[in-house]
Amino acid sequence: MDLDLNVHKEGDRSVLEVAGEIDVYTAPKLREKLIELVSEGSYDIVVDLEKVDFLDSTGLGVLVGGLKRVRNHDGSLQLVCTQEKILKIFRITGLTKVFPIHGSVAEAVAASEE
Amino acid sequence: MDGGAGEQPALLEGAAATIRLAFPPEPRLLGTVRLVVGIVARKAGMDDEAIEDLKVAVSEACAVAVGDLNRAGRPDLVELDLVEAPDRLGIEVRDRAPAADRQPHASDADGEIDLDDRQLGLALVGALVDDLRIMDLEGGGSRTSFWLRRGPELPPPLT
Repeated sequence: MDLDLNVHKEGDRSVLEVAGEIDVYTAPKLREKLIELVSEGSYDIVVDLEKVDFLDSTGLGVLVGGLKRVRNHDGSLQLVCTQEKILKIFRITGLTKVFPIHGSVAEAVAASEE
Repeated sequence: MDGGAGEQPALLEGAAATIRLAFPPEPRLLGTVRLVVGIVARKAGMDDEAIEDLKVAVSEACAVAVGDLNRAGRPDLVELDLVEAPDRLGIEVRDRAPAADRQPHASDADGEIDLDDRQLGLALVGALVDDLRIMDLEGGGSRTSFWLRRGPELPPPLT
């Protein structure tokens, strides 16, 4: 089990593509990457969860932490997710009210520029 | 992983566990636990949505046990039973972490985040399954049990 993280730029937005399983074992790797991005000055981040097979409460905590970090710099954290099994976790925990969740990276990037 | 022992779990009430696992409290093993749970659920005829719900619920319950044991500095095995019933699967997770070590888990290392993973994890389990019960074990530790239906509700019998 592993977690693959890839970052690319869409204009001045950073898109973090996440692939694999996010749980208590792998979530620290995601947290470190989000901290790294913010410390490098990326305050508008799109996290693409389309290739995530599993997400648990630890992963949710890391995403909330990332959101708080970018908001400290008046930035934004947008999510991309269309997988029902992952969306269900956000819905159950009420985090659909906290995170903007989009159907594509293009949509998320456009929303972060508004 | 190896076969677990211990007292007869209350969930089973005399029935034998279909599968019994015991594993050291290492977070890296949770992926393996999910694989096993997914295979058992698939063989039991559960639909895709129910399988995903089960994997999340079992993983969260086991993660809480792993976190509590690590906080207590105890190497004791986490025990997991999966029990097949005609219309559902039963799950029981047991650990030997003292109650004093059942503290909030913070997923964010800088301490700025007030989200409690432990509480959130158990709330997630409660939302996904039926009849979630968390009980103290005699001599220390806890037992978390719940049920999940194997598929869509059956229609009422024709009269």
